[in-house]
Amino acid sequence: MINPFEDFREYPYKKKEIPLDRIVRAKEKIMDEIVEGYLKLVEEEVKDLVWLVEHSRLVRAYSAAIRTVEKLDYDIDDIEELCLELDREGRIPYLISGPAGIYLSALCNNAGEENIRLRLHELKRTFHFLGYRLPQGKTLILQGDVGDFIGAGLSGGKLVVEGSTGNWAGAGMMDGEIHITGHTGRNMGEWMGGGEIHVEGYIGGIGKSIRGGRIYQQGNLIRPYDRTTR
Amino acid sequence: MRERVRSIYEFIQDNLYLNRPDMTVGDKSFNSALLFSLLTALNRGKELIIGEPGLGKTTSAEYIAAMTYRLPLGLIWASEVSGHPEQTEEKIIGRPDLGRLNQGEEMVVWSYLAQLPIKIVDEINRLPETKQSMILDGVDRGNWEYLNDVIINEEYCLFATANYQDRGTNTLIAPLIDRFDVLVESRHPGPDLALVIGMKDKYENILRNPEYEREFQKVLLERRDYHEKMQLIEDLCDRFGDYMERELDLKMLSRAERKEIRGCMQGLPLDLDANAFLRTVISELSFCYKYGQKRSDEHCEEGCHYTGFLCHRIKNCISNRFPTSVRTYSQSLAWLAGDEGVGIEHVKAVLPYAMAHRVQWKDDYVSQKQVSNRRDPLQIYVAKEAAKEVSKRYNEQSQHIKNALAVAYQALSGKDLKPIEGDHPVYAEIKRDIEEVT
Repeated sequence: MINPFEDFREYPYKKKEIPLDRIVRAKEKIMDEIVEGYLKLVEEEVKDLVWLVEHSRLVRAYSAAIRTVEKLDYDIDDIEELCLELDREGRIPYLISGPAGIYLSALCNNAGEENIRLRLHELKRTFHFLGYRLPQGKTLILQGDVGDFIGAGLSGGKLVVEGSTGNWAGAGMMDGEIHITGHTGRNMGEWMGGGEIHVEGYIGGIGKSIRGGRIYQQGNLIRPYDRTTR
Repeated sequence: MRERVRSIYEFIQDNLYLNRPDMTVGDKSFNSALLFSLLTALNRGKELIIGEPGLGKTTSAEYIAAMTYRLPLGLIWASEVSGHPEQTEEKIIGRPDLGRLNQGEEMVVWSYLAQLPIKIVDEINRLPETKQSMILDGVDRGNWEYLNDVIINEEYCLFATANYQDRGTNTLIAPLIDRFDVLVESRHPGPDLALVIGMKDKYENILRNPEYEREFQKVLLERRDYHEKMQLIEDLCDRFGDYMERELDLKMLSRAERKEIRGCMQGLPLDLDANAFLRTVISELSFCYKYGQKRSDEHCEEGCHYTGFLCHRIKNCISNRFPTSVRTYSQSLAWLAGDEGVGIEHVKAVLPYAMAHRVQWKDDYVSQKQVSNRRDPLQIYVAKEAAKEVSKRYNEQSQHIKNALAVAYQALSGKDLKPIEGDHPVYAEIKRDIEEVT
């Protein structure tokens, strides 16, 4: 078979790299590490093939996630890219919603940026636990509908949901603000100890054990009932 | 020998075909019609000369032919074929020897056109399309057939002239037009040179010699073996050449010298830039992302990623004769310029003239260009613009293209390398070459 490029046999070739190649490669490396961290977490957390929402389990999973993400050098784009990867089911063989949300929350809480915006409206899946333990000084904006336990254990940060949430939004939150532009499900604010939740749409139900904090619907305070707190 | 060829060019330019220079190669200016005619004669090419009537289309070819092949002008006139609807095979190629036929013997009397190495077809587009096909084989291979006889020209070149389209002209058939290596225009020389031409005695021509012309004709009419006749003709050429040298103080070229020149030209290598540039041009003129290659009956759609390249503006696919034409004429030009190899400048100079008649542009693109300010006829102008455009693209990414070609060589030689990506059809074609083989 003739080699039609024979004239260029002696030409000193090199796999020339344009800046974009380097950027893409660096991004891919980071994403590989992020995905690897997620898979490790999932492996640890679903040994029993079932992932139950228990306080101790959440704490353990979150601590493990934080330990992993602290070693990574990533930015908001990488978090968003992970959301897309989790949604696509290509690179990531399995999605367990709980650990995935905890892991995404750990990434957001540990990120260098103070304001984080995740565009989730085009995703097929909804993620749970987003905004888990969002610390003071951080603002997380979630565009699109999200799942259960959004803003659970919120720790002083500001969480804005431009869409609707599932059940247990703001469960166990200690401080900070949650703004939901759409509707929210049942048990909202369960075990809430402080902070504020603002809902613009319909509320499916408010949690029974609320220890502190305030809940507003369309600007009106609906919890606590006590007149003196208004 | 190069100096002798240059002297021939200068002699014709100064004495016989007065015209303005219209192209530059390196630091030298040339008249394209004259330059390409000279190169055609030297490298056994085929040239189509277009232009208005009376502007020297045929004349330029005749002078070049006479001086590079040492043939008297009157003989060249006698060998010319005129294109007209009533033209016959018997006048173009040959006829039966009627005397012998009466005696029951079938012999062919070959036309001067078929026998002589110089072939001039005047107003070729006045030949009906069916008769254009008649000369295809002879034009292509120097292979002339009549009855059961055949002669093959060892050395020949073709000059054909064509007027612009009018009521009396036909379209040149695609297979015939593709066989022309280059297309040039014989232009108006401007009023001042036109007046100088007008002041000359049109009946007196230094390249004519009736005595020699009769001798040549006598040999051509003899009933001899064709190769024997050609040897006699060459002897006559030697004598006529000596005569011309005495008269004009100008030494012309013998058959052996022309052969030697061709050898020198063919030995000139294309440098890597010229090579890569030519590949870039061919890729733009043959590539189609959607259908694999350009085809005259398939139309590419709007919105294709490659709309910015020539492939989106043309209807047909460039033929394999195109790179041959560009290569041979670039080598000839480099030889004439005294360069040691063919560079990108030589290729760029030849490209529009090799492309002009072969590329069919889409109507909307032609309409855009038709009204532009220009000095060239539309075909050549559009080809020049296209060549400039590809050249600009090549300059922007020449290193990347050469690198892609080098990587392709290594990949096809077994190295584990991926083809280099880039935004040009040339990369897609390279990738295809690698992936379809490995």
